[in-house]
Amino acid sequence: MGRLKQRGKAGAAKNYVTRTSAIKKLQCSLADFRRLCILKGIFPREPRSRKRANKGSSAPTSFYYAKDIAYLAHEPVLKKLREHKAFAKKLSRALGRGEWSSAKILEENKPIYRLDHIIKERYPTFIDAVRDMDDALCMVFLFASLPTTTRLLPELMENCSRLAAEWQLYIMRSQSLRKVFLSIKGVYYQAEIMDQTVTWLVPYQFTQNIPADVDVRVMLTFLELYQTLLGFILFKLYTDAGLVYPPPLDAKKDESAAGIGAFSLQDITQPAAQPSRAKAVELDGRKISTKDVRQTIKNIEASYSTHDPDVEMSNPETATREVEEEFIPQASLSNPGVSVSTELPTLQSISSLPQSLSISLFSPYTFFLSREVSRPIFEFMVRSFGGKIGWSTSSGSGSPFEETDETITHVIIDRPLVGREESPSQRELRLRRKYVQPQWIVDCINSGKILLEGPYDQGKTLPPHLSPFGEYEGAYDPAAGPLGPSGVEQESEPEADEVSEADEEDQGDPVQVAVKAATGDSIELRAAELAAEAAGVDYGTFEAKVKKLNRKQMKKPFTDGVEDGEKDMNKMMMSNKQKKLYEKMKYSQKKKEIEVSKTGISLDAVLMSSIAGDTGY
Amino acid sequence: MALDDAKRSSRKRKESQDEYSFSKAHQDAGNLEMMSDEEAGGGVDSDDGQLEEFPEIDVASDSEEEEDESDEQSDGESYDDNEEEEESDDSEIPLFPKSKNVISDITGKLKRIYPEIEPDYDSDSSTEDTTNRVGDVPMHWYDDLPHVGYDINGKQVLRPARGDELDKFLATVEDPSSWTSAFDKNAQADKPLTTEELDIIKRLYAGEVPDATYDPYEPTTEWFTSKQEVMPLSGAPEPKRRWIPSKWEKQKVMKIVRAIRQGRIVPSKTKAAQKLEVYSIWSEPSSSHPPPLPAPKPPLPTNSESYNPPEEYLPTEEEQKAWETLDPEDRERDYLPKKYSSLRLVPAYDRFIKDRFNRQLDLYMAPRIQRVKLNIDPNTLIPKLPSPSSLKPFPIYRSLSLNHAKGRARALSISPDGLWVISGNEGGVVSLWEVNIGREVKKWTFEGKIGAVEWCPRTDVSYFAVAINDTIQMFIPPNVSAPVLSLTQSVLAPTTLPPAPSTPSLVKWVTPPSSAWSVDLPILTIHLPASTEVPTQLIWHRRGDYFATVSSGTAYGGGVWIHQVTRRHSQAPFKKIRGVVQLVLFHPLKPHFFVATQQYVRIYNLSEQKLLKTLLPGIKWISSMDVHPSGDHLIVGGYDRKLCWFDLELSEKPYKVLRYHSRAIRSLHFHPSYPLFASSSDDGSIQVFHSRVYNDLMTDPLIVPLKILRGHEVREGLGVLQVKWCSRQPWLVSGGADGNVSVWCS
Repeated sequence: MGRLKQRGKAGAAKNYVTRTSAIKKLQCSLADFRRLCILKGIFPREPRSRKRANKGSSAPTSFYYAKDIAYLAHEPVLKKLREHKAFAKKLSRALGRGEWSSAKILEENKPIYRLDHIIKERYPTFIDAVRDMDDALCMVFLFASLPTTTRLLPELMENCSRLAAEWQLYIMRSQSLRKVFLSIKGVYYQAEIMDQTVTWLVPYQFTQNIPADVDVRVMLTFLELYQTLLGFILFKLYTDAGLVYPPPLDAKKDESAAGIGAFSLQDITQPAAQPSRAKAVELDGRKISTKDVRQTIKNIEASYSTHDPDVEMSNPETATREVEEEFIPQASLSNPGVSVSTELPTLQSISSLPQSLSISLFSPYTFFLSREVSRPIFEFMVRSFGGKIGWSTSSGSGSPFEETDETITHVIIDRPLVGREESPSQRELRLRRKYVQPQWIVDCINSGKILLEGPYDQGKTLPPHLSPFGEYEGAYDPAAGPLGPSGVEQESEPEADEVSEADEEDQGDPVQVAVKAATGDSIELRAAELAAEAAGVDYGTFEAKVKKLNRKQMKKPFTDGVEDGEKDMNKMMMSNKQKKLYEKMKYSQKKKEIEVSKTGISLDAVLMSSIAGDTGY
Repeated sequence: MALDDAKRSSRKRKESQDEYSFSKAHQDAGNLEMMSDEEAGGGVDSDDGQLEEFPEIDVASDSEEEEDESDEQSDGESYDDNEEEEESDDSEIPLFPKSKNVISDITGKLKRIYPEIEPDYDSDSSTEDTTNRVGDVPMHWYDDLPHVGYDINGKQVLRPARGDELDKFLATVEDPSSWTSAFDKNAQADKPLTTEELDIIKRLYAGEVPDATYDPYEPTTEWFTSKQEVMPLSGAPEPKRRWIPSKWEKQKVMKIVRAIRQGRIVPSKTKAAQKLEVYSIWSEPSSSHPPPLPAPKPPLPTNSESYNPPEEYLPTEEEQKAWETLDPEDRERDYLPKKYSSLRLVPAYDRFIKDRFNRQLDLYMAPRIQRVKLNIDPNTLIPKLPSPSSLKPFPIYRSLSLNHAKGRARALSISPDGLWVISGNEGGVVSLWEVNIGREVKKWTFEGKIGAVEWCPRTDVSYFAVAINDTIQMFIPPNVSAPVLSLTQSVLAPTTLPPAPSTPSLVKWVTPPSSAWSVDLPILTIHLPASTEVPTQLIWHRRGDYFATVSSGTAYGGGVWIHQVTRRHSQAPFKKIRGVVQLVLFHPLKPHFFVATQQYVRIYNLSEQKLLKTLLPGIKWISSMDVHPSGDHLIVGGYDRKLCWFDLELSEKPYKVLRYHSRAIRSLHFHPSYPLFASSSDDGSIQVFHSRVYNDLMTDPLIVPLKILRGHEVREGLGVLQVKWCSRQPWLVSGGADGNVSVWCS
């Protein structure tokens, strides 16, 4: 006989601890515990039975794995937090006694925790870190745009904006930006690094204020971790690319709002930074990049291209390889109908082909930003796709060329057309350039090719901007929408005819009957074919009939009431568990259908209103 | 008078300054001299007249007296006072008193005479006649004596006369100074307060310093001045330690120097050095720990989040309102789609930080659950069953129905040849009709409620039993062929009655005389014991000799009676039974007997008279039960909509529990020959099932729902009360609460 089992000695009661008991065990405050959880990435768990995990109590608490907590107990950061507590006591005592010198010494020797071991623990490999970068980037970009307050020190903001700029520099340099989406929340970017997609959201350039119901401490703790993480990731990325990290910052340029341009990328092989050289690097970064190509890892090497003949030679090869790499099942939502792609075999190849070419999408063009267009957003986009870009001095210094430059091919402009007089030279310039709205850039990037500028001309109503990330399967597809009505109608009408025809034929034709009986099974189909041959029907007509019937049968299940009744009856033979699962699945299906139909309905309404409007004119 | 005064004053002086030793002669001489003296004269003047009224005139003397009598403090002050006065006097008059030139009596020459040096400069101011000299003793020692003490000469000081209360009162009225006088303990009399004392009182009262002469704002005297002295206070030479470096200091410094040299003391680090330096963290091999699962990524934005979405994504006004009224947690999306005509018009997203914050809360506060998403078609969950069309025949449509005008058609039975139906309603009408065409052949009307009707299953005879009130009556239907009729009559009413049982039974079997036999009257009546309720169930044994009845209520033996027709004998198989018996059933093959109470079904072996098994259907209240013709399977229906299928060879728990009716199940019946069974319910529907039972023990019975038959109306919450199968055809006969009895044909 084994030992008697005691209650609460094994199982869920032992594996889970409540938050209160965890705090008690760690002997720290709740705020410290939260900080630790954030830094270590420990989150509560849901036990299978709350009652069993909490000694029979069903009070609402959060549970942690006991092992997680035991693991926390040895955390060096926890030790530092305790030291900090002692330090705070000492400091307040010194201040209370007016012992300024000792307070100063204490302040100088304040315990500071380091997070590098946590980074290593949480992300044992570099891929892990890259995979989990999204939130870090979002936070850093957000804080880079926040105003400083008493809580948010300027150093923090500075560091955040430095990290953001370094990240953007790297993306531009490696040309790994893939998709961009202008949403109402901000701009979503998606880049591909080490075969991992990294998506981040950058708010539009407005002052954000921290709302009162947001706990800044929590955000700052996260930010602390994210800054460290990004620092290490960027270090790795830069050094792998053969660049110096951190890239030296030109303070003068930074002061004159050069933005990303204030940083200069340097080769590791280069001797220590010389300001003049750095400037040259910044201005015509491509020349230096040819050296990098040989050193850097594969996915970066394809990017440094435009001016050097050697690299251009290697370009096609890398491009084809990338075609293979990017043969992913995820189809792009970009509209393939516009291009001459109808002969290509699959949708996937259509979507993947232009994407591979899109890396140097803008390289033949030179852009100029009008002053109302946000410079950081579009400079980043254009430069990461190989384009040259200039801007007016009102959006910051460091523009490589003036507005009057002859090479400018596109002007990105976002203001309504205003008729005004212009000199002949201006007119000539105007005719030579193309004036497009900013959405053109983004749509070009997402579709992987240069779109026609016509619909995006200055002052025109823009075509809708769709998400490049796609929707869930079976969702309403707006790309099919505008084309849909005419196409669907065309198809549906003849089909109806066919059905009626088939019905008519049914009566007399023995082949028809055979086919009808046989459409389900291949052997039977074969038999029916033979019968048809015997009856003197040629193969073509037979096949057409089979197809028709198949289509009819496809339609049948939706209309067949008898089958539904049977199904309903069969449902009563399901077990309770199955019944519940079935109901749940049906519910979610219905919900999705309703949503799709809703958008469809509203599309109808839109179309109706537009038709009414047309007739009104 | 002046002389008297002078004498008195001198005496006083003498008394007061007894400590000084001066010759009397000197004093006398002095006295004489003093007569002419200005000061003395003043003193005399002061003494003069109202001695007690104005004592303040002679300040010094008074204070002197006070000193003796009461306060030493005031004495000191007054002494100071005098000193000051003396000083001020000194500044005016020469140090020595003026001499007088007198012709000496003895020599006759002019001689200078100085006034006598008075040791006590105010000794002349004594005004008291007698002073009590007892000192500080408790005065109550003298309470009973005529005197109050002794003066300096040892003479008794007599107690001053004390007036009665009236005198006191008069004194307060008449004497203006009485309110400034106080009782002097030593003199045992009221003494007026001096001006000084009054002044002190006045000052205390005003909260001032009691001493009038004290000046709180006196200019400070600089004892230790800021002026530096030219000469040193001490002439000692300067010590060596002032100019020789300290040895101990040197030792201490050397200690620090040595520590610095040995590197024990290092300069504090600069702030920049403390900052975390990034390094190649992933160059070292990672630990063997598996990395924690990465946090789930937030969903990617969809078309509706675009700044310029297609118009069909824009919410209508109602949707917008509905979104706004919803709680932020309940919203499906945290934003409202909006369309901007150009990018420059897009404003800042006001919930940006909130969104990020919520994401972070999710990251560190939300338990993560790994959900396995079933990527299957829900229709695959529905069990694959053979199509009903392949399981034909089964009843599909209602071919005919017979209406009972009043009352619910509760009882129903079909003849063993499957041609005739008898149906009884609650109004007491039993009608016999043909299944095929629905023609009513005969109708019997009874007083009371019909509990049950049942054909005898024997095919060689033809009669049926009707349970009314507390009787069971046997009828022979009309139009029966002669041999069958005679056989039936001989069975029910044999010419020679079987011997009566040895113990008289409670149940009486009555047969009317053969002359009175008719179709309208029962050929045999069984009277159950009186006060038994109407039997709700009547069930025949397969052979047609035995039948059992169940009466509701707490009758003898649970209301269960088993009757044997051939022996014309009834017996109650149970003396006492646990629970209220709902239904009973005969096993089709074995001598087993099923008894259903409210929650359990018990199986008894009648020949061995013991309980075989108790089935636990898990139904709250059993309503109906039927056994499969093979005898191995039992279905039990309940008022809680459940139907349980028991395999009697297996467990006592149901093999399958189905719940498909929306109201209580009322009746169940297995088809005797076809693999069918039907259930009827209060929801007005009849469910027909295919139920195939295999001889192979390993194969589970196959239950396929075939058809839902609808057509009966629901009246007062009651639907279809009874269903029965035709024995030869796959036809179903059902009786409903709406009074209709319907035949359903395939």
